[in-house]
Amino acid sequence: MIAVLGLVVGVVAGLLVRPEVPAAVEPYLPIAVVAALDAVFGGLRAMLDGIFDDKVFVVSFLSNVVVAALIVFLGDKLGVGAQLSTGVVVVLGIRIFSNAAAIRRHVFRA
Amino acid sequence: MSDHDDRPGNRLRAELPEEVPPAAPAPVPAGRAEAPEGKRALTGRERLVKGLWPPRVTRAQLIVALLLFGLGFGLAVQVASNSDNDSALRGARQEDLVRILDELDDRTQRLEDEKQGLEKQRDELENSSDQAEEARKQTVEKERQLGVLAGTVAAQGPGITMTIEDTKGTVEADMLLDAIQELRAAGAEAIQVNGVRVVAGTYLTDSGKSVSVDGNKINAPYRFKVIGKPQDLEPALNIPGGVVQTLEKEQATVTVERSSKIVVDALRAAKRPDYARSSSQ
Repeated sequence: MIAVLGLVVGVVAGLLVRPEVPAAVEPYLPIAVVAALDAVFGGLRAMLDGIFDDKVFVVSFLSNVVVAALIVFLGDKLGVGAQLSTGVVVVLGIRIFSNAAAIRRHVFRA
Repeated sequence: MSDHDDRPGNRLRAELPEEVPPAAPAPVPAGRAEAPEGKRALTGRERLVKGLWPPRVTRAQLIVALLLFGLGFGLAVQVASNSDNDSALRGARQEDLVRILDELDDRTQRLEDEKQGLEKQRDELENSSDQAEEARKQTVEKERQLGVLAGTVAAQGPGITMTIEDTKGTVEADMLLDAIQELRAAGAEAIQVNGVRVVAGTYLTDSGKSVSVDGNKINAPYRFKVIGKPQDLEPALNIPGGVVQTLEKEQATVTVERSSKIVVDALRAAKRPDYARSSSQ
């Protein structure tokens, strides 16, 4: 419950504050958000499985974000930033879908 | 990244065969009526509800809340910044953007050139109008100066007034001319005699008992208004054997008064010379 509240408060704060995204962070923010979403879905699934561990969640969340940003950064340096970020989004999307499927099985038993 | 998610994946795969068989008959009652969850312990759903409803403040919840706060914040910021910006360029491909940028650069260059040309033209116009204005000012100033000399404009300044009382009628034109010459030599800049402006071409003639200046007959007393340096003009008239003494010898009375403000307001029409033309042009 507290966690859901945190998400809601974050969204509201982001909409209210509307900070200017720094130019250095701008290319990485979308990928980081998608990676974090993946981690959250993974965490939700782990919770439903009953094996949720906050330490693992924190590490996976942060490392997801950092690795995703790193890949985009590397891609930018190599000149294939657009393709690589597309690849990252595809992979993360697949993972989110599979996690969502597992969650669905848990919640709806179908 | 993968560490966390692989494990539940493996676990799920291990669990799925166990979970799915009981799940197959379950969906019918559970899907139709969502209420009976307490009766049949659905592990996943139960855990979800248990985690959601009694809000417990645990370390895990707080940490996850913090991370989710960051996620929500980033999400909202990204969405906001994405929808804020001009959507026309955001969806464009890279080569399109490059082309648009090139076109903008060309356009900027053209406009810059045009601006420079116009600025140059403006400067030239300003210069020429400045010069014309300056020339006009100088001309006006010169006209004023020359007008004082030619008698076409009124003049004022320090100077003297000389009054010649001629009761006997002995004063003649040449005496007045001497007086005028003496005044000119002393630096007089504008002279009028009884309402007649004295200029370069002024002539004096005797006409009976009185005198004509430029054909205008004037009668005694002869009143000279002279603009010039009073300290020079008065002594020039009073020198021994000068104008005043000569006139007094002829039984005329002469009074000379200095004044800080003399107005010479008699005017004379500018006369166009018939033969002489300016050779300076």
